[in-house]
Amino acid sequence: MTPALFVQSAIIGVSLGSIYILMALGLTLMFGMMHIINFAHGAVYMLGAFVIYYVFFQGGMPYFVAFVASMVLLGIFGYLVERSIYRPIKGGIEPTLVALLALTTFLQAAGYPVFGQLDKHVPPVFPGTRNILGVGISIERLMIIPVAAALVIGLYLFINNTRLGAAMRAIEQDKEAAALQGVNVHVVNGLAFAIGFALAAASGALMAPIFKLDPMMGEQPLLKAFIIIILGGLGSIPGAILGGLMLGLIDSIVATALGAEPAFLLSFVFIIMLLLFRPTGLFGYAS
Amino acid sequence: MLEVENLWVRYGTVEAVKGVSFSVPAGSIVSLIGANGAGKTTSLRALTGLVKPGAGELRFGSTSLVGLAPHQVVGLGIAHVPEGRRLFPKMTVLENLTMGAYRRSRADVASTLIMVYEHFPILKERGRQLAGSLSGGEQQMLAIARALMSRPKLLLLDEPSMGLSPIMTAEVGKIIRQINALDVSIILVEQNAMLALTLAQYGYVLQTGQLVMQGKAQDLLRDEGVKKAYLGL
Ligand SMILES: Nc1ncnc2c1ncn2[C@@H]1O[C@H](COP(=O)(O)OP(=O)(O)OP(=O)(O)O)[C@@H](O)[C@H]1O
Ligand SMILES: [Mg+2]
Repeated sequence: MTPALFVQSAIIGVSLGSIYILMALGLTLMFGMMHIINFAHGAVYMLGAFVIYYVFFQGGMPYFVAFVASMVLLGIFGYLVERSIYRPIKGGIEPTLVALLALTTFLQAAGYPVFGQLDKHVPPVFPGTRNILGVGISIERLMIIPVAAALVIGLYLFINNTRLGAAMRAIEQDKEAAALQGVNVHVVNGLAFAIGFALAAASGALMAPIFKLDPMMGEQPLLKAFIIIILGGLGSIPGAILGGLMLGLIDSIVATALGAEPAFLLSFVFIIMLLLFRPTGLFGYAS
Repeated sequence: MLEVENLWVRYGTVEAVKGVSFSVPAGSIVSLIGANGAGKTTSLRALTGLVKPGAGELRFGSTSLVGLAPHQVVGLGIAHVPEGRRLFPKMTVLENLTMGAYRRSRADVASTLIMVYEHFPILKERGRQLAGSLSGGEQQMLAIARALMSRPKLLLLDEPSMGLSPIMTAEVGKIIRQINALDVSIILVEQNAMLALTLAQYGYVLQTGQLVMQGKAQDLLRDEGVKKAYLGL
């Protein structure tokens, strides 16, 4: 591997990692607060991408508008899922997981008649490449990095500096104690659903101009996000960020050097090794 | 101020509280004592909506508490210091206190914080320390202080002496008196019946979910049965 190729795949790795991080953050946030794994996260990523297809490409709106619409619409959808699925189940973890799996299957199956059988493509939003250290990198991929960084920083500031953010941290540490301080746990859980869904929609929306769109497109990023939150430690936000970057870099650099299948295999080998030494993940702790 | 009438609570098939009635006059300290599993904690949890009672009436002033969620009960002026303190260990002392005032305005929080620090000067010193790193006694102080941040009219204390040294227990007793002097009514749940009955004006004795005795605290302290069963005398 030449140095130029290495730099190129490292930058693409960070860009890919940014997408993974946006997916993993919502999963880990929801796990930390409610101890559920949102299987529907991949389907939300897919819907986020299709909002771009319809609003930006078909609807002719500016990409920025479509991007915000994607996050807002799916954020609202997330709140409604809490309201109509999670809340009535009253904290039962297994029934919630089954219900979320059913929702995922429904959204994917409904995708074919609604969006059509053929793959969709969104034209580039930022065409062209940019020269970095002598290698050309697609601007589309580069732009993902600052957008994801802004969202991550925004989430961090929200969680650490607002009253609702404090309520989310309180629920994560002790749901009943949070309720006894006056936190309406249902509403704050709903907010976590909304944030998680909006971030998944954002990653789908960022990837829409890069990959083809089909109803199953969320499965691969969902799998990656699962790996990341286990790698980073379930419920840990710093863990999701570090884990996402690591997996993005492995995927990109190893895939460039050895091909896609070895990269896929290697990422699992790496995770199994890490978990052998740190069973709770990078930032996890035994409960 | 608080009336509990014929309260029943079950967990699955376990009947934890079987027809318990008690009342808390405004401004008083009332104690619930009893051995392990008597239903003391469960009675408090029913009051603040953490468990749904099977039957019974719970009235706070003229408001029924039945069917209210915990955050609504706090809003009425009832604060609950749960068994085991239940602090937010990864938050600082100050953040824990701020959480206690979750439903109140920022200006209110600042003035209440000054009042709370007067009673708990140690917490001011430890403001930036993580709650999880405090000693057991300091954690109990913080748990009580956090509850006071909501400016309650009624304070529920579930075993505040649990795991504390005799010196710390006496300290907690002093604090409970001070809080009561601020016109906060208190329900004190204790296995340490001696502490409970010296602080309270009135006491109720629970046994396997039922009320077996009640009376003025000083009378209970002199009762032969209570002495043998709960005071270890
Ligand atoms: N979450 C629960 N699920 C099932 N049973 C429970 C639960 N919590 C309490 N119980 C049962 O209810 C009964 C009353 O328990 P409770 O915790 O109210 O007693 P307590 O008087 O507070 O005891 P302690 O002094 O040990 O704290 C006990 O038999 C207990 O085993
Ligand atoms: Mg108890």
